[in-house]
Amino acid sequence: MALKKARRREAEDGLNITSMMDMMTIILVFLLKSYSTQDISVAPSEDLELPVSSVKKAPEVAVNVVVSKKNIVVDGVPVLNLEHVPDEDNPGQKKLQIPEDERNGQLIEALLDELSKKAETAKDLGQQTGADDHAFKGRLLIQCDKKLPFEVLRQVMYTAGQAQFSEFKFVVYKQE
Amino acid sequence: MAVKRRTKKDEELNLVPIMNLVTILIPFLIMAAQFVQLAVIDSTLPAIGAPQPSDEKPDKPPLNLSLAITDRGVTVMGADAVLYPEGAPEVAEGEDRPPTIPCQSGGVCTSVEDYNWVKLTAKLNLVKDEYPDEEDANVILVPDNQIKYEVLVSTMDAARNDPGKPGADGKARMLFPNVVIAGGAM
Repeated sequence: MALKKARRREAEDGLNITSMMDMMTIILVFLLKSYSTQDISVAPSEDLELPVSSVKKAPEVAVNVVVSKKNIVVDGVPVLNLEHVPDEDNPGQKKLQIPEDERNGQLIEALLDELSKKAETAKDLGQQTGADDHAFKGRLLIQCDKKLPFEVLRQVMYTAGQAQFSEFKFVVYKQE
Repeated sequence: MAVKRRTKKDEELNLVPIMNLVTILIPFLIMAAQFVQLAVIDSTLPAIGAPQPSDEKPDKPPLNLSLAITDRGVTVMGADAVLYPEGAPEVAEGEDRPPTIPCQSGGVCTSVEDYNWVKLTAKLNLVKDEYPDEEDANVILVPDNQIKYEVLVSTMDAARNDPGKPGADGKARMLFPNVVIAGGAM
């Protein structure tokens, strides 16, 4: 006992950081493993829970439409809010829908304006650069909450189609 | 003996510069770390207007597979010749035809898991046996208005490939990966 104590006192110059280094190394390896250079990111929230799918295809950059339980967001800009109304088919239950005064039949007018602007910008960019990579291909990334009724999704897709977006990419979580 | 001498002689390794480096690397890597893996499902715009006339094969009518998704189950349409070789089952007058793949609980599906995805994949396997061509990879989804998005994604998963039945290349057998979402009833 006495010997141990003495030895420690001898080496006592500064903090012993070896164990901290061990920890840091493990954290470093773990973080390097989960390092990714994916182009798109999602901000998960209570109102936006993506479904899980077995699909393997990696996402790519495109105009981003987020349809959460609360609102529709195009490339970070909120476009309009959704509303809960009583469902006529299932009394007592509520359904999510796009307010009727915001749309013209199937067409969501505010979304059409925003997406048309995006399409124009993308087309201009494609023409100015002249490169095939930047040409406008009508790709649209759609992030949808998993509880969203198809009615809303269809109206969004229809509107996107009117704004010359024809290739939809539904963003999902990859199954582990 | 030798060990004892070394501990006394060796100077402690100076780890402070490495610590500095690591502490800077860790916040940077935390920012770049992705804890959920994302993927995308491709789909094209529902075709508007009359369907394009296809080159008809004299021996076999073209496959026009569609899946109607309702809250009672999934109905496979356009492949009756495969699924019912003896003719479609009789339906009483004035009644709707029951879905091909009803919910596991029998009545109205309560959740995504309640839909019988395994059975749907098995049925689509039968259809694929009859239409093994690469071109016959299209499936049209016709969901009801209040069908949840997650059910839609699960249907696409069930129709895409069959993990239980590896194909020639050892991967899951491809069934109908090209999904088109139809407008459904307006």
